Amino acid sequence: MHRNAKLALSVLAATSMVALAGCTAAGDNADGDSQSLKIVYQKTDSFTALDELFTKIKPEFEAANPGVTVELEPIQANDDDYSTKLALSQKSAETAPDVFYEDTFRLRSDIDAGYLLNIDDQLADWDEWGQFNEGAKAAGMGDDGSVYAVPLGTDTRGIWYSKPVFAAAGIELPWQPETWDDILTAARAIQASQPDVVPFNMYAGKGTGEGTVMQSFYELLYGTGDTLYNEDDQKWVVESQGFKDSLEFLQTLYTEKLALDPSEALDPNVWKKVFGELFPQGKLGGTVEGSYTPSFWQTGGSYEWPAYTEDMAVATFPTQNGEEPGGVSMSGGWTLAVGAKTANADLAFDFLALAVSQENALWYAINNSQIAVRTDVASEPTYLAANPFVADVTELVDVTHYRPATSDYSKISAEVQAATEAVITGQMSVDEAADAYDTAVEGIVGADKVTTK
Amino acid sequence: MTVSTLASSVASPRKATAAILANTVLIVIALCFLLPLAWLVLASLDVKATYQTQIPEQLSLANFAAVFNPELTFLPLWNSLLLSGGAAVVTVLASVLAAYPLSRYTMRFNKPFMYGVLFGTCLPITAIMVPVYSLFVRLNLLDSIPATIFFMAATSLPMAIWMTKNFMDSVPVSLEEAAWVDGASAMNALRRIVVPLMRPGLSVVFIFVFIQAWGNFFVPFVLLLSPSKQPAAVSIYSFFGQYGAIAYGQLAAFSVLYSVPVILLYVLVSRGMGGSFTMSGAIKG
Amino acid sequence: MLPLAPAVVLLAIFLLGPVIWSFYGSFTDAALTGSSAQDPQWVGLDNYLTLFKDPVFPLSLWLTFVFVVASAIVGQNFLGLGIALLINRASKVVSAVVGTAVVAAWVLPEIVAAFVAYAYFSEDGTLNQVLAAAGMTGPNWLYSFPMLSIILANAWRGTAFSMMVYRAALNDVPVEVTEAAMIDGADGIKRLTWITIPMIKNSIATNLMLITLQTLSVFTLIWVMTAGGPGNESTTLPIMAFQEAFKFGDIGYGTAIATVMLLIGAAFSLVYIRALRPEKV
Repeated sequence: MHRNAKLALSVLAATSMVALAGCTAAGDNADGDSQSLKIVYQKTDSFTALDELFTKIKPEFEAANPGVTVELEPIQANDDDYSTKLALSQKSAETAPDVFYEDTFRLRSDIDAGYLLNIDDQLADWDEWGQFNEGAKAAGMGDDGSVYAVPLGTDTRGIWYSKPVFAAAGIELPWQPETWDDILTAARAIQASQPDVVPFNMYAGKGTGEGTVMQSFYELLYGTGDTLYNEDDQKWVVESQGFKDSLEFLQTLYTEKLALDPSEALDPNVWKKVFGELFPQGKLGGTVEGSYTPSFWQTGGSYEWPAYTEDMAVATFPTQNGEEPGGVSMSGGWTLAVGAKTANADLAFDFLALAVSQENALWYAINNSQIAVRTDVASEPTYLAANPFVADVTELVDVTHYRPATSDYSKISAEVQAATEAVITGQMSVDEAADAYDTAVEGIVGADKVTTK
Repeated sequence: MTVSTLASSVASPRKATAAILANTVLIVIALCFLLPLAWLVLASLDVKATYQTQIPEQLSLANFAAVFNPELTFLPLWNSLLLSGGAAVVTVLASVLAAYPLSRYTMRFNKPFMYGVLFGTCLPITAIMVPVYSLFVRLNLLDSIPATIFFMAATSLPMAIWMTKNFMDSVPVSLEEAAWVDGASAMNALRRIVVPLMRPGLSVVFIFVFIQAWGNFFVPFVLLLSPSKQPAAVSIYSFFGQYGAIAYGQLAAFSVLYSVPVILLYVLVSRGMGGSFTMSGAIKG
Repeated sequence: MLPLAPAVVLLAIFLLGPVIWSFYGSFTDAALTGSSAQDPQWVGLDNYLTLFKDPVFPLSLWLTFVFVVASAIVGQNFLGLGIALLINRASKVVSAVVGTAVVAAWVLPEIVAAFVAYAYFSEDGTLNQVLAAAGMTGPNWLYSFPMLSIILANAWRGTAFSMMVYRAALNDVPVEVTEAAMIDGADGIKRLTWITIPMIKNSIATNLMLITLQTLSVFTLIWVMTAGGPGNESTTLPIMAFQEAFKFGDIGYGTAIATVMLLIGAAFSLVYIRALRPEKV
């Protein structure tokens, strides 16, 4: 009996050991002994700039801080999967990162969740903080007025169009639409002159995630006079005409086949096709995309295309009927933050500070086509000359909007994406989709948090 | 055996037509089942692969060479091996130990336990992934390979206990009784006599669990977070997400590399004891 | 009983624990982000009330039902039984080839099977190539007929299991019985319905139970092929639970959906266990 009872016991023991292993490992982290920093960030085949930056500064940082190991943990996933994985790891101290990369629109809700460390004290001792512009300082701020994250850069969005395609359709260059109809007119002209070219694509559906709203729907909505969220009342806007008009515009683009086929548009990787194939091959007239667009095409980018400086041009996205201020853009951007569960807060902040130092921020702004948020980077000649579009996209800051920074935002955004998907696939009419959106929003935030103005 | 031997011995014209009909229908079915797989094999050997099934202009192992590196292939496969092997070992040990008293002694406890086990077999594992994640956070087990192994073992345990008990029931008690007479303890008898006799059955259980764990995507996707701990199922998914629209051939090559071990295992076990044996042991009450 | 301990401990921690947790969690507003991530509150039946008002939920229930019935009960089960019956009449070579072809789809890791099915049904995929060869233009299956695609894919992948169960069961039907029936002049169909089926009814019940529950939990196949789309046209319950819990971070709500799935699974198993009781345990 004995020997086999031992066998039974050992299986039992092994089971409980797992639990123990969990505890001891957590203990290791908490006692502050371990001088290792876990850095979690996103890396994809078309976004390697941050990985390169971290790989470059890792030895530098380790040399300056003997005994410290920097563990780089790039997560290979698209934006949506990245945020899921990041959120999953935040819950427990053992897996939570010390420094991580996060989209500005998720900051508020993660600050509420207690995942981000308040870095007011560290910033107070950091003389370079003064170099950051006011918008950048506000980007990482929580409801309590404290700062939790430092932006790596910001961005704007505008129309990127192909000069050869537009010229072939007989459209006068440079092109600057004044109203939504101007866009449709140009697109129809392209369709008539070049049947195998996609005239004007705008993202829609859940596949492209935030891209659908940031590089498409909000440019429309914020140009109608209506908004998504009433900042004064802190309520979500429902039943707006602007919402329906925006959906209708997308419906027109897709039903007239001015945009990609809906089945292609719903593919999460459609943007790769836009940058990697359609534009370089002259198969796309125009689209709404971010200021970071050149990062894909410049030397070292994922879809190197030297001719982009000649072939492409930027225009401001117009308001619906040319209302003031005459254009719409959206801004977002990504930040670096220190995890609230870190055992080495100061060390983690030092790493963060090194990553956004003047030299590194400049490198990153150039290589990832970011709009600089440090004044000492924005004035650098190399930054201004990084690509021919720096001035164009920086100008868009004047007409830009930001997403509502509330914890509910990502769910609302998902509903907007669902509404666009329902409309372009013909599953719902514009009115039905808008109604479904209204119902869904009320369900998410409650009837007392919605308004009709 | 039953009908076919009869068919040939009687060999009436009607039987012959029936046989031709059966053969034709089955060949059509086989083609339908093989067609989707043709793409996998052909694309993996074709540098210019797309989603179309096409004969490669030039057969090439370039796709395999491209994915043949530690980061993409070896480490994830090693992790898969750890997870599946670990889960299979734990499951077999625990189910042999559990099956013994269930099979050999009549206890008041047996019936409700076996009902519970049967019920456990039925749990949709997907449904418990959300609570399991919460539980792992609470117990600080997230991103732990051993914990994931134990969870995978637990999910396959009900089925494994059921199978093992059935196999054990078919080992005659008389052999152990002889051992008892010689003074061996029950546990000793289990180890010396019963386990060796049911080795084929246990290897079926082992391989059954191993194959299931090897193919499992959802569990490690939720419970393991570090890229360095991801098994092939998860790394192949991120590969698809990133390069799926471009590198079809490499995706196919990676998929082939990842599938070969379980196919070999399956062939091994079915060669050894005939495919249907696997199931008859598992299913018969 | 000490030998039972490891199994009991494992089952208690990793199966019973989560099931209990599932009931508990579904009454809280636990979340991945936002203030309730820090401090989940007891919200009573709120999650269930939201669920029953959510227009996606009845759709999702219906799609799950359709998926299970069409791909498992009709597809895998009948196809598996059919193959098992035919294989005994076919030549040795053919039965070996069919057996291998059917099993191959089943042995593949689920995610690989999912990619293969994705490629097969995609717009310029193999299925449309075959249709084109026959002079037809196939649709974009995953987009226009998402449910049909995942149903066919799951039938393709899972038939092997039913086939093996039925082959094993048919092998156990004594020759004398069918022979006697044959001498009595019963034709094929009659023999099947009056003799063979009743003799393997236990295997049928067990098989139905297992494939129903397996199909109820199918996640990877659908996630890779359609991710529940377009719209919510192929959002079965596992997909819905995953999206709510992990994509939108609403753990409490996702857990409520999971609990509903557990209850459905439990109901199914009770029915089957009851049906099997006389012969079993």
